[in-house]
Amino acid sequence: MTSYILRRLITAVLILLGASFIVYLMTAASGDPLWDLYGNPNAQQLIPARVEALNLDTPPILRYFTWLGGAAGCLVPFADTCSLGVSRDGQEVTELLAFAMTQTIMLVTVGTILAIVVGITLGIVSALRQYSGLDYGITFLTFLCFSLPSFWLAVLLKEVVAIQFNDFLQKPVLSMVSIVVISLVVALIWFLVSFGRMRTRLLLAGAGFVVTFGVIYFVLATDWLNHPFLGIPLIALTGILVAVIATVLMAGLRNRRALYAALGTVVLGLALYFPVQYAFKGAGLLTVLALVVVLTAAGAAIGYFAGGYDRGQGARVAGVTGFFVALLIILDRFMQSWPDYVDSSHIRGRPIATANSATPGFTGDFWTTGLDRFTHLLLPTICLTLLALASYSRYSRASMLEIMGQDYVRTARAKGLSERTVVMRHAFRNALIPLATLVAFDIGGLIGGAIITESVFAFTGMGQLFVQAVRNVDPNPVMGVFLVTGIVAMVFNLVADLVYSVLDPRVRVKA
Amino acid sequence: MGKYTFKGKAAVSLAAIAALTLTGCASVGGGGDDKKDGGDSGAAKDGGVVTVAETNKFSGANPGYTKTNLDINGHVAAMTRESFVNVDTEQKLSANEGFGTYKKTSDDPLTVEYELKDPQWSDGNKIDKADMLLWWSVLSGYANDADEEGKAGKNYFTIAGSTDILHTTDMPKFSEDGKKMTLTWGKPNADWEIAFDSNSLMPAHVVAKKAGMSEDQLLKVLEEQKKGDPESPQKQPELEKIGKAWDTSFNFTSTPEEKDVLVSSGPYKIENVVENNSITLKKNENYKGDAPGKLDEITLRTIGDATAQIQALRNGEVDIMQPGNVNKDTLDQVQQIENVNVQKGDQLAYDHLDLNFGSDVFKDEKVREAFLKTVPRQQIVDQLIKPVKDDASVLNSQMYVSSQGEPYQKAEEKNGAKEKYGDVDIEGAKKLLGGKAPTVRILFNNGNPQRVDTFQLIKESAEKAGFKVEDLGDPNWSEKLPDGDYDASLFGWVSPGVGTEMLSQIFKTGGGGNYNKYSNKNVDKLVDEARTNLDEKARVDQITDIDKHTFEDAYGLPLFQSVGYVATSDKIAGVDKYQPNQTGVFWNVSEWSRK
Repeated sequence: MTSYILRRLITAVLILLGASFIVYLMTAASGDPLWDLYGNPNAQQLIPARVEALNLDTPPILRYFTWLGGAAGCLVPFADTCSLGVSRDGQEVTELLAFAMTQTIMLVTVGTILAIVVGITLGIVSALRQYSGLDYGITFLTFLCFSLPSFWLAVLLKEVVAIQFNDFLQKPVLSMVSIVVISLVVALIWFLVSFGRMRTRLLLAGAGFVVTFGVIYFVLATDWLNHPFLGIPLIALTGILVAVIATVLMAGLRNRRALYAALGTVVLGLALYFPVQYAFKGAGLLTVLALVVVLTAAGAAIGYFAGGYDRGQGARVAGVTGFFVALLIILDRFMQSWPDYVDSSHIRGRPIATANSATPGFTGDFWTTGLDRFTHLLLPTICLTLLALASYSRYSRASMLEIMGQDYVRTARAKGLSERTVVMRHAFRNALIPLATLVAFDIGGLIGGAIITESVFAFTGMGQLFVQAVRNVDPNPVMGVFLVTGIVAMVFNLVADLVYSVLDPRVRVKA
Repeated sequence: MGKYTFKGKAAVSLAAIAALTLTGCASVGGGGDDKKDGGDSGAAKDGGVVTVAETNKFSGANPGYTKTNLDINGHVAAMTRESFVNVDTEQKLSANEGFGTYKKTSDDPLTVEYELKDPQWSDGNKIDKADMLLWWSVLSGYANDADEEGKAGKNYFTIAGSTDILHTTDMPKFSEDGKKMTLTWGKPNADWEIAFDSNSLMPAHVVAKKAGMSEDQLLKVLEEQKKGDPESPQKQPELEKIGKAWDTSFNFTSTPEEKDVLVSSGPYKIENVVENNSITLKKNENYKGDAPGKLDEITLRTIGDATAQIQALRNGEVDIMQPGNVNKDTLDQVQQIENVNVQKGDQLAYDHLDLNFGSDVFKDEKVREAFLKTVPRQQIVDQLIKPVKDDASVLNSQMYVSSQGEPYQKAEEKNGAKEKYGDVDIEGAKKLLGGKAPTVRILFNNGNPQRVDTFQLIKESAEKAGFKVEDLGDPNWSEKLPDGDYDASLFGWVSPGVGTEMLSQIFKTGGGGNYNKYSNKNVDKLVDEARTNLDEKARVDQITDIDKHTFEDAYGLPLFQSVGYVATSDKIAGVDKYQPNQTGVFWNVSEWSRK
């Protein structure tokens, strides 16, 4: 195993060396690094200055080795010898990279996680109901999103979710007719994607109508959009829902102890609601994280001590419930700050933003700045999630279908396991194995940035850094981006292979 | 998936009844408190925040330094620096008496007396002798002794403009209290009024600190600096330190740790810079001039993509946008936005066709004239510019742009552009060619759709007269411009609006921007005269004479001025005129307010 990893790492270094050499020369040869200075009235001073700063008198091959020397300094830990050169404008590439990476990670992380979670869920669900209305619906929607050009989707999102929604917020009133129409449309969708007997489908459609109507009515009548809240009742309601779903998926409703443990955790969360509000005053990220950890741990403990025939199962169910209840309490606290945020002089009642990663000049406590982040990341996150949904859902659907046709699934069914156990334990876990490669690969690609999305939403992440540098015939930042993405891609490639062998006992790494 | 059955019918009928009863009221929502912005009576108030969209990223507080000479940095400087003069939207100068006054006391030698009122920096430090002397040292390049090739000697301050205006001045004389400065020119200069460019005014006390000396020491070094002579360069190490501090201390892309470089002498001062993203300015409470700001805060945020800027404007995230490149699509989009006012105007930038006097084809004046006669200028304007701005017209002067008003009209009357090249004259061109069919290679930027269209129109028309037109379109056209390997070039100049420096740059023999190798002794003489002429009226006459010469020599043709606009949310008061110069919409920033 060790020698395998070592061998892989050595190959990786060699590949990086070779590739960096080629990339450097290609960038250097891609144009005239002085192109923007010709015709500049100060060309006489600027040209020699740049030639000196970027060492342009030296041939690119030699310049590459200077760069390599600087980059090699990065391998010495804590020696402060790391230098990836300077950009055309004299900025240290290491600084540029650090800044661009934070922007990119901020932009793409949530989107990618959501795409993975939602995509896999959709894929599994559509596989379980193959060739049903639901399956076709999901396939249609994911492919629709997949085929949308990202800049167009972004512009559309900005138009509807930001501009028109903000307009709506100025006077959140809907006529009764439009509420009924919306609810009917939702009911129709429920009917179309539901499966089973006609009576069930009609019932589901009816439920869809009532729920949608109720939610819209509630939201508008209480001016919820401008003064959102969860409060004890909604946290309780959602918490119970989470508890039930968690039990259904992870333990089965027959495991009453797990269900009671989960419900107990919800009660614990509610009991903590008021004390926690004091702790939230002047709170930061740490308090929030602490609450999440505490409630998750408390849930797990409750589940464990509730006992039953499977303590581990109870602990998992209640732990997950605790996690979500903590999130709900935190969400509620964010909502309490919403009116302050929306009415601040920088926002002026139009919260959903279309550009940049934060409102410039806006200052506030943890909660309002958090909301500011949220309003800015909302659109790019939706955009990235929708675009990436298709690949995850298709892969997981295909993989799930394959697994469901395997002999051991039939065996599991034959020996009388419940459908839940067959799906969640025998099929789902194994269906995830091929996805491990995909996910590892995508996380590796994450850092490379989303060039178009970045540009449309005015984020200055890795993609922008790269494009700008290529345009400027500026090799150092290009090399910086290449180095980071190259290393991450290689590492995650290796990780994917290793994870594969851990997950799937049939694959063994030959040492 | 557990299945639970309940009385389906009952549920459905319950829902139906609920729906019926609820339909009783017509609409839902709008409850709770009324919106606070009910006070929108249209009256402007003090305070508030305004956000402006920018295309570039902020890179430093000294736009007078070559490397940070960017539009956004200049915009910030427009809010944080003042000088003796202001420029209005017609590019006319007016004195800024809140900063100081100036008076010409003699024409020969040109002598000007400057008197500071009592301006101060935002940290309370007065703008005084040291600041003035530093300002002058930078702009005059008094001690500079670098030779042409830059091999020997040194230019102490790396400035973005040229030292042209102040270069012949003597060391200024100051009054006892340091408030009054007298400057004497060795050679008169027509642009003396705009000599002190506010962009280059840097706080002497901060520069001194960064150079590792006290303000008094800095003053002493500046007073004792030796006149530079490229023939015998000499080392002035103390001055070098000051030059280096001036060049480098004010370059920052995020909020600097030492706040002293943020000091301002204008109505606003820099508060916060977020790398690549935004720069926030707050009102300068220590401002003592005539134009204090009304707003609390102004933010410039960088949004590179044009569509993104427009959507941000629609969404109220930015209040003002003034794009550099204007096309019909984006302008239409902006004009369709409710609650946004659009002011259109002509940019100081103009497109023009220059014939290369160094090329074989155009050595013959007849061929040049014939080619110019075929250029369909009216058609170009009709097809390319009028869709954006209905009242656009052909530009008829190489010297002035139409937004400059009076001098432009004078030039148009005198230079004969209208009579000679007003209409396309294919027959006339054929006659001049006498059956020849010369090939003309035109260099232009084919990455710019407008230039491509212009080229096509010129090509079509010229080929009717028998020319063969070759396409030398190249996105890297600017690299090829100085090479001279083309017969004609089609590109844009940006006129500074004020000053005469471009005359010697573009039209004088061997000028830095004279790419088409134009040379006319009379023009050379007139340029020198105009640049040293202190009488404005006579100067305008000389410049229009130069204009006339260029048309007589078939130099080339000006085509049109680019259209510019500024779009403003109707919640902002004070932005009601289009300012075409580089300061742009910020020219009257202290009058902005939020309604």
